Amino acid sequence: MAERIVVTSLGIVSALGNGADANLQALLSGTPGLHYPRHLQSVHAPEFLMGEVAHSNDDLCTLLGLPTGNNGYTRTTLLALVAMQEVMKGIDKQLLQDEGFACINANTVGGMCAVEDLYPDFISDVQEGDFLKYIDTLDCAESTQNIVNYFGIKPFTATISTACSSSANAIILGARLIQHGIVKRAICGGCDALSRFTLNGFHSLKNVDKQPCRPFDNTRFGLNLGEAAGYLLLETEKSAKERGAEILAVLSGYGNTNDAYHPTAPSPNGDGAYNTMQLALHKAGLQPQDIDYINAHGTATINNDAAEGKAIERLFENNIPLFSSTKPFTGHTLAAAGSIEAIFSIWGLQQQKAWGNLHFTTKMEELAITPVVQTQDAQLHHVLSNSFGFGGNNVSLIFSKA
Amino acid sequence: MMKPVYISAAAALSPQHSFDADRLLPDVVSSSNGKLNVIDTDYSKFINPVAIRRMSRMLKIGISTGMRTVQLAGINTPDGIITGTGRGSMRDMELFLGDMIRLHEEALNPTYFIQSTYNSINGWLAMQTKCTGYNQTYVHRGHSLEVALLDAQMLLNENDAKRTYLVGSFDEMTEEYFVVKNKAHYWKKALPESLYLLQHSDTNGTIGGEGAAFFTITNEAEKAICRIEQIHLLHEPTTTSVQTAIDSVLATNGMKLKDLDVVLCGMSGDARYQPLYQPILENTTAHTTVAAFKHLCGEYDTSTGFALWLATRLFATQTVPEVLIQKKGINPSIGNLLLVNHYPQGTASVMLLSIDK
Repeated sequence: MAERIVVTSLGIVSALGNGADANLQALLSGTPGLHYPRHLQSVHAPEFLMGEVAHSNDDLCTLLGLPTGNNGYTRTTLLALVAMQEVMKGIDKQLLQDEGFACINANTVGGMCAVEDLYPDFISDVQEGDFLKYIDTLDCAESTQNIVNYFGIKPFTATISTACSSSANAIILGARLIQHGIVKRAICGGCDALSRFTLNGFHSLKNVDKQPCRPFDNTRFGLNLGEAAGYLLLETEKSAKERGAEILAVLSGYGNTNDAYHPTAPSPNGDGAYNTMQLALHKAGLQPQDIDYINAHGTATINNDAAEGKAIERLFENNIPLFSSTKPFTGHTLAAAGSIEAIFSIWGLQQQKAWGNLHFTTKMEELAITPVVQTQDAQLHHVLSNSFGFGGNNVSLIFSKA
Repeated sequence: MMKPVYISAAAALSPQHSFDADRLLPDVVSSSNGKLNVIDTDYSKFINPVAIRRMSRMLKIGISTGMRTVQLAGINTPDGIITGTGRGSMRDMELFLGDMIRLHEEALNPTYFIQSTYNSINGWLAMQTKCTGYNQTYVHRGHSLEVALLDAQMLLNENDAKRTYLVGSFDEMTEEYFVVKNKAHYWKKALPESLYLLQHSDTNGTIGGEGAAFFTITNEAEKAICRIEQIHLLHEPTTTSVQTAIDSVLATNGMKLKDLDVVLCGMSGDARYQPLYQPILENTTAHTTVAAFKHLCGEYDTSTGFALWLATRLFATQTVPEVLIQKKGINPSIGNLLLVNHYPQGTASVMLLSIDK
């Protein structure tokens, strides 16, 4: 890459808590955030463990200084705003605006969490009611537009939806916009709130485990869903130094490819995952042996972990790095997964830790490799973070020590 | 400043005869029910017969338009696929959501869920063209296609090698979505005959529309139908900011207003947004033809796709059909075309296209 792109501010809200401190402490202490949901109104709520954010919508509104009740803000947007609030602490808003920046958001189902409750009113003969406040909240750009409005900022905006790789793609776009000189900085990431729509979608595909998910384990049975929002501030190393900002990590490479294999299943030998990781290494000018830890996509579905594991075996051969999936901590947060796991990868570099792959007990039959079971000290210089999605959309990001 | 890129092929499924017709806009289609829907084609020519059985209409429309574009470009596998959509497959979303509510979250069909995913058409196009390269889906309301085009322009500026990306857009207007948007005051209360939509610019609201349009975008000049010189995005546009944007795009490209042969405008017959276009009608010189397109495709997030397809046809035929003309210019040929489009959720775009005359 021409100019080094660095990360200088982070914001996160997940089932592990609100803000960097709470999330990092949970990772360090090995405390997962999964429980039976209290806020999601679903007949399946008592059956499935989920990574639900502890705050109610009203709690989130209070944190944001917004009126509580039916105020037109969806939970998707509220999560995004809370995480964005933390990112914005890392930079002067006026400087951000004056020098030009992008806000690249990502999302899978927009404000579905609100719309699914109101939809009968949306399509009935009823013309008046509180539901009208949510009438334009279904699309994915809704949360992006609300970020712009809430903070009173005027960035270049875009919203991406490539299923579970969405926010990893947002990070790539932000980096490229900076390298082209279109903007000086970019705030990139994604948000997704739990919804009955998504839960039932994955449930109808028989992809959801009632037990805590077990990535890369022979007994794995499926994923646990989660909700989160995570954003990263990207800028050039030069611009970070100019303003005296602390550099948290370097985004040294990225890759985006497509499986071109099946609408929902990955290519069985992990060709897509292999190509994507290789592309990211090439972009970073690194060799496989340079990677010290992989924050795997590791959804704990039968197909993903087999394909991803095989790809890791083939690409890294005799130099298999430490690897783990942090999804047992947070659940699979879909469009937010790429960005919150990018944040976990950066913390791995900062703390010199490889995060534990909770609940792992039994090696997979198809694989010779096993993940890091408990969080351990590790010398990390380069970390790879994978995000793979429906539609064959694969992304790998490489972060390096600042 | 990025180098311009080229459109080497274009196809559109729209409410007009845009897909197979040998002439430009033959037998213009009008409607009186407040919306314009896509004219179906024989989708089985473009999609595997087993796969097509479970596919929703949006998928068939999107995939067929993408495949047709690849055929027209004379390639098998593009270097990447980038799409923009405001809504993805609305009907699949409605069916899954409706079933979920009616069946109390039991015994649901996952096909609707999978197809409602915004990137599902991209996935299918990648499979059908065996394209394992770059793949991206933008979902940013009225800027969805614009950002996809900008991404392609960035990619082509990141590499000197010859590359061709398949870039496109798709959106549908379902019965339910029409009702939903009516509650958000999108449509005219008194439904006009769509062909005469622009004669009702004194009242609020417009008509609904839908369509898919795909393009191959390349850095190979010799294959060009036209050049995309610049894509300029506006937020919360005002009459002044649209004018400033037009001036800025022209100045950047060393042009004056009188150098424009055609301005293709997204005026939608909505009194709230007509002022955005009024200065174009007033300020362009006698040389320039001002044309419009939304009375032919209706209003939707990615109507720029239909307009851009139309622009490629105007360049290719060197004519502007009477049905488009709002103000007739005396231009003998079409070399420079400015596309100006606004979408109600606070976005507008200005795109400069050209060919060497």
